[in-house]
Amino acid sequence: MENNHIEKSEYSNIQVFALTFLRILIGWHFLYEGLVKFYAPGGWTAELFLTHSVGPFSFILKALAVNHTVLMIVDNANIWGLIIIGLGLFLGVFAKPFKIMGMALLFLYFVAYPSLAFYKVSVPVEGSYWIVNKNLIEIAALFVLYCFPSSHITGLDRYFRYYRESSKRKLD
Amino acid sequence: MSKFLRRDFLKGLVALPFMGYFALSFKDNILLEQAKKKTDYLKDLGIDHLEALRFKFPKWNSDNTKPIRLGIAGYGWRGPVLMRALGHAHPNWIAENTKDGKYNDELLSFLDQEDLNVEFTAVCDAFSFRAQDALATSLNEVYPGEKKGKRKPIKIFATYKEMIESKEIDAVIISTPDHLHANMATIAAKAGIHVYLEKPMTRTIEEAKALRDVIKSSNIVFQLGHENRQQRSYEVAKELVAKNVLGDISLVETFTNRNSDFGAWIRGIDKRASLQTINWKEFLGDSTYQEFNPDKYFNWQRFNEFGSGVTGSQFSHFYDCVNQVLNLGIPEYVAALGGTYYFKDARDIPDVLNCIFNYPKRGLSLTYDCTLKNSKFRGITFMGTDATMEIENNVNVYKDSESVKYKKIEIDPNKTIFSYFPDPRVDAVSSATALTYIKNGFGKTMIENRIVDTTYLHLKEWIDAIRGHGKPCCDIDRGFEESVTFILANIALDHKKTVSWDAINEKAVVS
Repeated sequence: MENNHIEKSEYSNIQVFALTFLRILIGWHFLYEGLVKFYAPGGWTAELFLTHSVGPFSFILKALAVNHTVLMIVDNANIWGLIIIGLGLFLGVFAKPFKIMGMALLFLYFVAYPSLAFYKVSVPVEGSYWIVNKNLIEIAALFVLYCFPSSHITGLDRYFRYYRESSKRKLD
Repeated sequence: MSKFLRRDFLKGLVALPFMGYFALSFKDNILLEQAKKKTDYLKDLGIDHLEALRFKFPKWNSDNTKPIRLGIAGYGWRGPVLMRALGHAHPNWIAENTKDGKYNDELLSFLDQEDLNVEFTAVCDAFSFRAQDALATSLNEVYPGEKKGKRKPIKIFATYKEMIESKEIDAVIISTPDHLHANMATIAAKAGIHVYLEKPMTRTIEEAKALRDVIKSSNIVFQLGHENRQQRSYEVAKELVAKNVLGDISLVETFTNRNSDFGAWIRGIDKRASLQTINWKEFLGDSTYQEFNPDKYFNWQRFNEFGSGVTGSQFSHFYDCVNQVLNLGIPEYVAALGGTYYFKDARDIPDVLNCIFNYPKRGLSLTYDCTLKNSKFRGITFMGTDATMEIENNVNVYKDSESVKYKKIEIDPNKTIFSYFPDPRVDAVSSATALTYIKNGFGKTMIENRIVDTTYLHLKEWIDAIRGHGKPCCDIDRGFEESVTFILANIALDHKKTVSWDAINEKAVVS
């Protein structure tokens, strides 16, 4: 049987479902965030987010908002980053690098506004958080997905893997 | 391969149905979210539906068949504008607004005005050619309403007194130089003739007090000519303030920035001017006699003996705008400094001026800055703890970046959280001064999606009140506040000292 390597999963069916479900949800979230910014009337900008940022790295983030060209690059990188990462996770294509990129992006959001009472945050937030906030949880969820991938079973990565496996077989 | 296809090929595509749904619906949801975000905070602020914008033209039930006979004193620059608002235009103005036999928008909107049934019966103007212009206006056959044909010619009176005593008029418009205002209005009120007085009301506090007493003891209807009281943008601003959109207002800034001879009241001398064509004594009124001076006659705003300074000519407008929004009244303390630095003509009024009007009980300061050598336009700015409001003929509200109340509104402080933009048409050939005038909210406003002349509305309110309907909004009390406030600044400027207002004895106290 040619497809033994693909078929022979170390996950149970329910585990595959759970991992796929989580991957699609996070993909959906990234994609929608990116598209909302893309379609924002008058153009979306991270200017306020950056200029009001707090925490140990805020001086870097604040500096990004000073120069118009730099800010434009940051804005576009963020919008397209969100859209591409979202699509990658949603469809399960090149999922591994996109999970790493997703974690990196979320980490930037996390350090810009650390959930510590020590920092006076002028941007309103719902809920109550101390160190752990939704960004950190989403980072952790992506880390789980990174450790337990599902795109090679329930994503387009399955076909890349299939062709890789089959060509390997031919070479064997 | 076929087995693979049959059993497992679809497994890799499990996300596709979700993606399909996402692709079909995400755009609608984004648009919905955007719309909701905007209305949500306007709703939270209670300003999603403003009463000021639901205003409709008052429709009076009783008839207006009895015409009101009207005379005008002073038919120079402002007089023709006022008479047009009452449906009487000079033939030359009709010609100017007609091209290839077609009426332009300006003329069409004039013809569209409600016929207020005001009979133009009399004029007095010290310059004989201007009186003739008024006569020609009364004979013009193009006017609003259903009536057609020639109207009765007006009578030209040599003096104001003769016009008042003639029994030819029920009401009078006074659009003369400022030094004649108080006396003329007093004479009319004592004779039982209704008064529409151009701004500023008077030139001294004594005149203001005396006129107020005369008007209050008479039965006449008095309206001061601050037509910006009819401008919707100020009503919008008033409602925003009442709904506490701005928070505590600590500072209000007003400005006059002009950079032209016309703006500096250099308006030429009519070549036909002479002692034969100008009744110089009538122009002087009660002032001390002096030799005939055509510059003073035609450019009287530049001379304190006839005009009321930059404050009376300009600040009085802005004061009244702010007063109608905040109901400020008379300030407790006033400081003013300025000088005549650039215009080396005969003027004795400043061309650079800064005034501070202090209201300790209200916790706010009103400022007025004027230069006649720079034309940067600045609207009236109201500064509150939560937001800044700028008024011109538009109203724009910007959240304060440190506002606690608006923390949840994630909007760039450079972008408006509220904007009223009626966009009345602006004449493309208007001069810079005229454009500034329009931008400041004078001229046109928008009611029931129609562009309406504010002067027309202000006069209509006066005419309606004469007929017993409603009350004029710029009555003698508002006029008293207007006059005393700018006069206090003139006193402070003269003395180079702070002036306080003794409200009990109604006196200016120079410290």
